[in-house]
Amino acid sequence: MINDEYFLAALRLAAGNDPIPSRVSAAARDLFRFRVPRAVTAAFSECAAIRGTRDDDGSHLVRFVAAGLTFDLEVTVGDGLIDVAGQVSPYPGEGALVDVRTPHLTLTARIAHTGHFIATGLPPGWLSVVCHRPGHAPVQTRWVRIRP
Amino acid sequence: MSDPREPAELLQAAADGDRSAWDALESRFGPRMWAVARACGLSPADAADAVQGSWLRLLQQLQSIRDPARVGGWLMTTVRHEALLLSRRERRGITSFEVVEDPDPASAVLEADGRRLLWKTVSALQEPCRTLLQLVAFDLGSQQMASRLGVPVGSVGPTRARCLEKLRTLISTQETAQ
Repeated sequence: MINDEYFLAALRLAAGNDPIPSRVSAAARDLFRFRVPRAVTAAFSECAAIRGTRDDDGSHLVRFVAAGLTFDLEVTVGDGLIDVAGQVSPYPGEGALVDVRTPHLTLTARIAHTGHFIATGLPPGWLSVVCHRPGHAPVQTRWVRIRP
Repeated sequence: MSDPREPAELLQAAADGDRSAWDALESRFGPRMWAVARACGLSPADAADAVQGSWLRLLQQLQSIRDPARVGGWLMTTVRHEALLLSRRERRGITSFEVVEDPDPASAVLEADGRRLLWKTVSALQEPCRTLLQLVAFDLGSQQMASRLGVPVGSVGPTRARCLEKLRTLISTQETAQ
């Protein structure tokens, strides 16, 4: 594969006329607060049936699996904001919480006995969910980009 | 003053919660990542998005990067993947890609030594490649480049591809000779 972009990038760096904006650097540094010590990261599941897009209502389904937990997320985009209706299975137990995170806003939700949780009114962009379980390491989903 | 620690040390320190190590990684590699995203043709807003996504990926991989010494190459490869994904038309909905395992070897041109070699090689090229590649670096559009080079607009793209091919060949020859 030809990777001309690296050559072009090196030339651009040498020219120095398009430096990284300070706000981009600052935003990258600020991301460190999203580090979750000891967290297990859940990757996309191989299960294809639940992945994909339902174009009719602007909802998207995605599944992540790790450490014996499955995250099923239904993400709905509307009016420039996103809503997440999720289920963690099996039910992670009393006292478990989820953080639904974007770089600009994190919402903490309780998990119902069915494993369901809801977070609404999030800005589009990068999204990750972390499940905190008493007595266990946290499990976080990979970051995915949600585009309206 | 720049942090003297090696990339692998910075990565381990960041994994252990050392915020200054994370900042040092950003300071060292952020400008290159921005250049890669922009070189992929992204607007400033999309480039910022691709760079941010790449740092988020690193944050989840701090302890599982296969070769910590090559975290720079890993970041360049990751931001290129993100940028190419963003530049596709079908970008609505949920997008992601599998985590990069090994850095693209070609990303080494962004290391300090690689950049010096690249610029030296560009300066030694014959015209029109020397001027064209210098103009590419300054992000001039095809119209302006054609005017500066005194060639038809339609020939800028093919000439650029030829010059990049020549540059690639020369660089790999010099790397082999070293």
